[in-house]
Amino acid sequence: MSLVTRFPVFAVTVTALCFLFLAAAFFAALGKPPLAMLYSLVVYAVGDAYSVSQTFAKTTPILLCALAIAVPGRLGLISVGAEGQLHAGAIFGTGIVLVAPGLPSVVLIPLMLIAAAAGGGLYGWIPGILRARLDVNETIVTLLMNYVSVLVVSALVFGPWRDPASQGWPATMKFPEGAVLPAVPDTRIHLGLLIGILLAAGLHVFFNHGKWAQKIRILAGNRKVGEMFGLSYAFWVVALMSAGGAIAGIAGIAEVSAIQGRLQPTISLGYGLTGFLVAWLARHQPLVILPVSLFVGALVAGSDALQLFAKVPAASAVIMQGLLFATALAVPGLLARWRAYRDR
Amino acid sequence: MTADFVALLAPWCIATLRGATPLIFATLGETLTQRVGIINLGVEGEMLTGACVGFAVGVATGNPWLGLMAGALAGGALSLLHAGLVLGAGANQIGSGLAVWMIALGGTSFFGRALVGNQVTPLPNLGSSLTDGIPFVGTVMAQATMAVPLAVLAVIFVAWWLAQTRPGLRWKAVGESARIAAENGIHATRVRVTAIVVGGLLAGFGGAVLSVDYTQTWAQEMTKGRGLVAVGLVIVARWKPALVLPVCLLFGLAEVSVLRVQSAGYEFSPHLLGTFPYLVVLVVLVLSHIFARKASAMPADLKAVFA
Repeated sequence: MSLVTRFPVFAVTVTALCFLFLAAAFFAALGKPPLAMLYSLVVYAVGDAYSVSQTFAKTTPILLCALAIAVPGRLGLISVGAEGQLHAGAIFGTGIVLVAPGLPSVVLIPLMLIAAAAGGGLYGWIPGILRARLDVNETIVTLLMNYVSVLVVSALVFGPWRDPASQGWPATMKFPEGAVLPAVPDTRIHLGLLIGILLAAGLHVFFNHGKWAQKIRILAGNRKVGEMFGLSYAFWVVALMSAGGAIAGIAGIAEVSAIQGRLQPTISLGYGLTGFLVAWLARHQPLVILPVSLFVGALVAGSDALQLFAKVPAASAVIMQGLLFATALAVPGLLARWRAYRDR
Repeated sequence: MTADFVALLAPWCIATLRGATPLIFATLGETLTQRVGIINLGVEGEMLTGACVGFAVGVATGNPWLGLMAGALAGGALSLLHAGLVLGAGANQIGSGLAVWMIALGGTSFFGRALVGNQVTPLPNLGSSLTDGIPFVGTVMAQATMAVPLAVLAVIFVAWWLAQTRPGLRWKAVGESARIAAENGIHATRVRVTAIVVGGLLAGFGGAVLSVDYTQTWAQEMTKGRGLVAVGLVIVARWKPALVLPVCLLFGLAEVSVLRVQSAGYEFSPHLLGTFPYLVVLVVLVLSHIFARKASAMPADLKAVFA
């Protein structure tokens, strides 16, 4: 079973328990009853049909962004660029809709998705080519590029793309019916989720069973050995960085089309960074990313509702993600230390 | 003619210096951290925390110096988390830095809400009756605060310390190879923890300079990637403390040009202009890779985490 190689049950359990403890401590520090808060968090995340719909709505961009990070991650590249690529995809996809809003949806939706993938892909190609040709660190380039495309979205919706009918509100016109991704009726579960699940399955096959699976693994493990096998490191850096960008680009247009209904500055609640966290927790394994993004999506949706109903600060979701990340980073290493100490 | 030119030049110079000052502290700190072989993306979070805590203490006490000190301490304290994760638990350095950033992002937006709209007492200007009226110097001094010369002095001191002292030599040895350094009786882990914390103190101080002295306000996420810019600029400066000054001034100049274009009343999107400083850093980063000899200056142990 290459599905989950040596699933570290013990480490995951300890991580989960530590995170629950820290989350409870966080609520206690806010002066809220910790156990009641954790219980409400679960209720608000999965308690009824509406909550579940919200959880899936949050899961979708997180899932796509996590896949966007995992794809170059399989080559050992550390891209943190999903946030910027998401915005680039949103810009390109929206561009198509603004140019040809009247097209029938069977034409417009595929065009819009392709444009978004191209935009995100281009935004991933830049750090890719810089890494491949000049050995410029992709982590720094992607982190800095994030700020650029977010600002470009603002420039567009405050400027040439602003809908005159929106009374000064910085947003494009509302997307026409033909540009809205199909969704499960009366929910916020839309085509983006299906795309994400299919991509995860496809990437699992590609990276584990496909023609290139073993070659990429060799290249990731040792560049020189990989090149002896006739593989081009530069080619795969550019290809995987662009592919990752394209996936994040789809996350962007899906959020604009299905959730917001128009391009505006607040299309992402830091999904890029959250996606990075999820990809990291899942060790860049596409099929593990599915449940982890659902879990983190539930955490984000739950804290969102908690903020509305229990007067918990809006920043809670980010703080809890940070705590989860720190716990997940700390626990495996500390367990290894403890084992080494015990076996001495 | 010359007088006109000087009159024009002086405001640009001082604005560039002031804009660059917070970044100089953070970049200098990150340079020290990277010289011992550790990369800390958490500087973004440490700057933000420094800005938040520094502003809060500055507002509460009415004393900007106490604010700057508190900001530095907050940044240093947060950097201990990175040190613990990386050195204590053997966590990935990039991941740990981002975790620190996330916690700081959430934490400051929570605690910072109460600070929005508050007024802080800034540092006093350096100008006095002695310098007033002197061309160039007078203008510069009238708008400079102690933070500016302090940043320059810090750069000079760190450059000297790293190059000329025995502890400086030890730090560099740890960065090249912690293993060999340890074999020669250097406590590599102790050096690394110290360097991370010094980096955190400087980042926190820089953040506090940003909120208390430069913008004199608190706004959510106000560092806007300055800490990440610092990490990039360390590479541009080839891990040399002395070069921190010119590369940070370049960023400062980019920021000032944006402000000047805006205030000159040109019809130009402020958001599009806002991308300019990031683009400058990206271009400079790429150029430094084209023209500098390949990775020759990079501490050897850093290559393992940050190729």
